[in-house]
Amino acid sequence: MNFFGIWICLVTLFVIGMGFVWVIRGERFFGYLWWPYVMTLGILCIVGSLFAANNWVSALCGAVGGSLIWGATELKEQAVRGELGWYPFNGRKIDPPLVKIIKKWKAPSL
Amino acid sequence: MDINWVGLSAALATFLGIWIGHVSVRKIEREVVNVWIPAGIALLAGFGLWLASTLTSNLPLSAASGIVGVTLLWDALEIAIRQPARVKHGHAPANPNNPRHRQILADYPEATTVDLLDRDPIGRAYSAEEIAALKAGGR
Repeated sequence: MNFFGIWICLVTLFVIGMGFVWVIRGERFFGYLWWPYVMTLGILCIVGSLFAANNWVSALCGAVGGSLIWGATELKEQAVRGELGWYPFNGRKIDPPLVKIIKKWKAPSL
Repeated sequence: MDINWVGLSAALATFLGIWIGHVSVRKIEREVVNVWIPAGIALLAGFGLWLASTLTSNLPLSAASGIVGVTLLWDALEIAIRQPARVKHGHAPANPNNPRHRQILADYPEATTVDLLDRDPIGRAYSAEEIAALKAGGR
């Protein structure tokens, strides 16, 4: 029997669980407008996974990349959750570089 | 340099597993009266994919099966427990055509048929009056 998939999925479950944490905390302190940077980081992780010689490293990079891309699409909804009072709201967020350009783009939400 | 497909397989399984699970959980919980039936199916499918992941020597396939399996197990929990709790708190819209949701609307004052998340951020916190107006159907 091959237990590679079972071990990888348990690690991925932890990565997804951490996704809940960083989306909530990240949106609170930085705001949802950082989404293009998070998405780019996710894509870079996946591209990096293609060139990893070790299968465990490749799988971990891929799972982190997939989770980061999903998290980027969750930031806008999380911002609304904070504004509705479902999570603590922080009115003094740290804007990302090129914020004026990013504001013109439609933030993804799936 | 050889390309390692394990990571791409894990990435696709993670992203698609979460995305499709996220959309399906909301849709299924909204429409189905007895949520334990789809939750049981998701549970069986999740364990089935876990078993399948142990039976293949192909690592990208094993990783994808394992990851989609674990997202299905999580979806079972979401369908049966977590999404109904969101509907009770008004964090997900209730479906008045579903008898189970009609009962939730009758029993839980916070429950609403309005999808409060279906809007763009405004950059400030809503007041209690504004939230009440949103729930009354206004935007």
